[in-house]
Order: sequence, then C-alpha cells, then structure tokens
Amino acid sequence: MIEKFNLVPFFFLLRRECHRFMKVLVQTIITPLVSASLYLLIFGVSLGAQMQVSESRYLAFLIPGLMMMGLMNNAFQNSSSSIVSSKFTGDLEDLAVVPLSREHIIWAMSLAAVIRGGMVALITLAAGEAFYYIQYQEFVSIAHPLWLVYFMILGGLVFGQLGLIVAFWAKTFDQLSAIGAFLILPLTYLGGVFLSIENLHPFWQVVSKMNPLFYFINGLRYGVLGTADIPVGTSAALVLVAFGVLYAIAHKVLNRVSFSRW
Amino acid sequence: MNPLIVDNVKKTYKIKVGAAAGTTVEAVRGVSFEVKPGEVFGLLGPNGAGKTSLISIMTTLEKPTDGDVRVFGESVLKNPGFTKRNIGVVAQEVVASGFFDLEEILTYHSGYYGIKNNQKRINELLNRLNLTPHKHKMMRQLSGGMKRRMMIAKAMVHSPKVLLLDEPTAGVDVELRNDLWKFIRELQSEGVSIVLTTHYLQEAEALCDRVGIINKGELKFCGQTKDIIKSLTQKRVEVTMNNGLEPVKFMVGQDQQLGDILKSHHIEMRDIVDIKTAEGSLEEAFIKVLQV
Repeated sequence: MIEKFNLVPFFFLLRRECHRFMKVLVQTIITPLVSASLYLLIFGVSLGAQMQVSESRYLAFLIPGLMMMGLMNNAFQNSSSSIVSSKFTGDLEDLAVVPLSREHIIWAMSLAAVIRGGMVALITLAAGEAFYYIQYQEFVSIAHPLWLVYFMILGGLVFGQLGLIVAFWAKTFDQLSAIGAFLILPLTYLGGVFLSIENLHPFWQVVSKMNPLFYFINGLRYGVLGTADIPVGTSAALVLVAFGVLYAIAHKVLNRVSFSRW
Repeated sequence: MNPLIVDNVKKTYKIKVGAAAGTTVEAVRGVSFEVKPGEVFGLLGPNGAGKTSLISIMTTLEKPTDGDVRVFGESVLKNPGFTKRNIGVVAQEVVASGFFDLEEILTYHSGYYGIKNNQKRINELLNRLNLTPHKHKMMRQLSGGMKRRMMIAKAMVHSPKVLLLDEPTAGVDVELRNDLWKFIRELQSEGVSIVLTTHYLQEAEALCDRVGIINKGELKFCGQTKDIIKSLTQKRVEVTMNNGLEPVKFMVGQDQQLGDILKSHHIEMRDIVDIKTAEGSLEEAFIKVLQV
C-alpha cells in the first residue's frame, strides 16, 4: 500500500517514458507531422478545397480528425512499443523487482502516452492552421478549449492503456502489429476522421455509432469547431466509461501477466 | 534476525504447451534455509534443480505454491514492497536497455526506489566497478563483462542489505571474474548478505561461507562450505619413494591419520622422498551429494 502513495517512483517512470520517446524524435514526432501534412495537403487543400461539411470548410473539418488520429496512434504506440521493447531487452523484469506499484506503471505509461499523443495532436493542429491560413488567410479558432483538452487527455489515457494491455498480452511482434493494423487503423479511418456521418446512408450511420473511436473523434471535433455529429455530452460520457473499463482491465492484466522477457 | 529466511517453499507449475501440456511439475519441494548477516550463501545445483524458481520467489517475480520467504522478518507475500526495497537482484541474463546510457539507467533505477538525488552513490558504483569511462555509453556498446558489472551496479544502486546474484560470472573472462569476486568480498565486508547461484564450484568454494545444494527441487545439503568438503571428500596423497618407481597415490579420509595409512601400505618413513597432499574440493562434494 505504501508504494501507491510514494510518487517518486511514478515520476521517474513517467520521466523515463517521456525521455525515451524524445530520444527518437524523428519516429515519434517528425514522422506523424509529415503524415498529417500530407493528409492536409492532399485531402484538405487539394481534393477537399470545394467541399463543405457541417457548415465548415473541409480543411477545418479535417484538422481535428487528424489531430485525434495522430493522438490515438501515438498514444497506443508509445505504451505498446515501450513494453514490447522492454520485453525484448529484459527491462520489463526490472519493473517487476523495483517498488513500483501496478497503479504507478499504468498511470506513468498512460500519461507518457498522453504527452506524446498530445504533442502530435498540437503539432498537427499547428500544421493544419498553417495550411488553413495559406489557403484562406485566416486561422481556425478553437471553439471550446476545455472540451479539446478533455478529449485529448482522455483519448491519450485510453489509448495508452490499450497499448499497455495489448503489449502485455502479445506473445509476438506479429500479434502486436495485427491489433494495430486490423483493429485500430480501420476503426480510426471509419470513425469519422475524413468524413461526417451525416453524409452516410442511415445504415452506415448506425454502424459508425457502434465504433467507439467515433466518439473520441467527434468529441475533439466539437472542441475545435463547436459542431459534431452527436451531442458532446454523449461523447464525453462514453469516453469516460471507456477510460474506466480499460483502467480496470489494465489493472487486472498487470496483476496476472508475466514480466518475463521474450 | 537473519536478513533472509526461506521457509518450506514449494513451487509447482502446470506445463501449458507442448507434449507435456497439462502435467504438473514440482520445481521446488519444501526448501528451507536462512542467510545470516554479511554472509555469502551459495545456492548450488544442476540445471533445472529449482534455483531460478527460488530466486524468482525471493524477488517477488513468482509466488510460492506453499511456504514463504521473509526478508528482515517481512513476508514477501504479504509485503512485497518491503522486499523490493531491501534486496538487490542481478538477473542471470543481461538486460540490454536500448534507449539510455549507463548513468541514465542508474538515475532512473534510483528513482524507482524513491531516491531522487543519488548521483554520489551512482558515481561511487561506476567508479568501484570501473565503469566511469563508459558512463555515457549505451549497454549495447559494452563488452559482456562490462554489461555484467553494470547489472551489479544497478542492483546496488539503492544500497540493499541483501543481494541476489544469479550466475553473475557466467561467460566472463578470468580477469573480470577476479574483479567481481573482489567486489563481492567488499560488499560482504560492508555487511551485505549475498545469495549466489553459480555453476562454477570453484567460485562457490572461494566465496561462499555456506552452501545449499539443491537437486530436483529438494535441498540435499545445507551447511558450512568447509564442512561439506570435510565430510564428503578425502585428501589426495601422493608419496614418492626412493625406489625409483612411480609415486604411490591414495585417498585419506578426513579423520584418518596419514601415519596409519602409510603403515597399511607398508611404506617406511625412511623410504619416502616426497609427500604431496591435496584437500578435497567442493566439486567432489557436490558430485557426491547429487549421487545420493
């Protein structure tokens, strides 16, 4: 019990996790920036120049979608790659023999994921604003900054925890990449990053609403643009529930899994 | 109170994969021993004897099926945090730590033990283990021996009073092995209790005050290193005589008188040119214990 209240080990693990991704800046920050810029250029500036979605220009509509996509991917990758590489090198055994509680590990990994994902989201926002300014000589103003922060933090925490759960569960690199490629990526693309569900057939609208990632993307979009496909309260509540469920699963997983190396 | 008490520890595993899936393996069968303050205790046994299972239980990585381990009186089951704060562990396999240099690794490791400013201790350990010139290198840039030394530095960064060394000299050269022996003796003189597992019986004989020999999960012998050698081995005696023949070789039990043996071999003292004697070794004793 004492370990839970001594926050020094937690802060050192959090610092280490942030230090780790800052050491590979090209991979963690620059690459997502380049990807987001390409999406903005091709879909926002070129193909979507004449499009209007929910009373917004398509470029403005695209920016929060790309922010949340970058945030979710990077939050997931941060915790999952940290744990998987630690399994590979044996570092993970160190975490098991030092006085770090399970709560410390979950929170430190998740908050590092929030920081990395948040950095990518803000850089994407900055890139989006630059493209928008070049195109329309004005900036996209942030409609609800508090909702923006809420969805960025909760999104980072949820996907950080998901990465942690998957990485502890995975027995091989293949299993880990399969989750990313066959689950998270399709759900992200189909969650409304590039399109509004109001343009879809009612059947696909129902299907979209069954995609949990849809609520994260919509919530963040409301924070930036002030408009969304569904009420922000619904998104906020479902995101909070997702956080609670994943926290409970992460806790259970950490109590059961082995910290042994691969 | 002894720093480490292993009390009737049992560990069974269920094999999950392969042809033997579903069968239960008794890795540790009711092992008990104690490690005294400032003592080097050797936990010896062949591969698969149960040594690593025991170490995993002592370090809280595994839970015993039955029994308990107490560190300074605290149960590893009831208070794993106390155990973690009071022991240092050098794992059998080297941890590679791909992102950080040695100094950073030690700084973070200190932090995990709740120590914010530990630079003095880090510098001391780097210095004592001859790692100071390499402190800004990554683990992958180090030789095998340096990596081993770094593992020990990491285990000692929070100045634990109990150190578990799981085959610390496996695959290292003679010079480094001697350096590590020296460091282990220094730690012992500072009052650190050390549990050492090793396949090098010469190492155990040189370093361990007491040894426990484990085989098939059972503790077959536990006691003073010199006692096991004395009780289970014989002196080798080689007598060269003035008759120009090959020296006569025979074994002498620890309680036997050399004079009586010479008499029984009809060797007269006036015919002896040279006598060479060699004490029995831990290796001989170890083999005898395993044969029982």
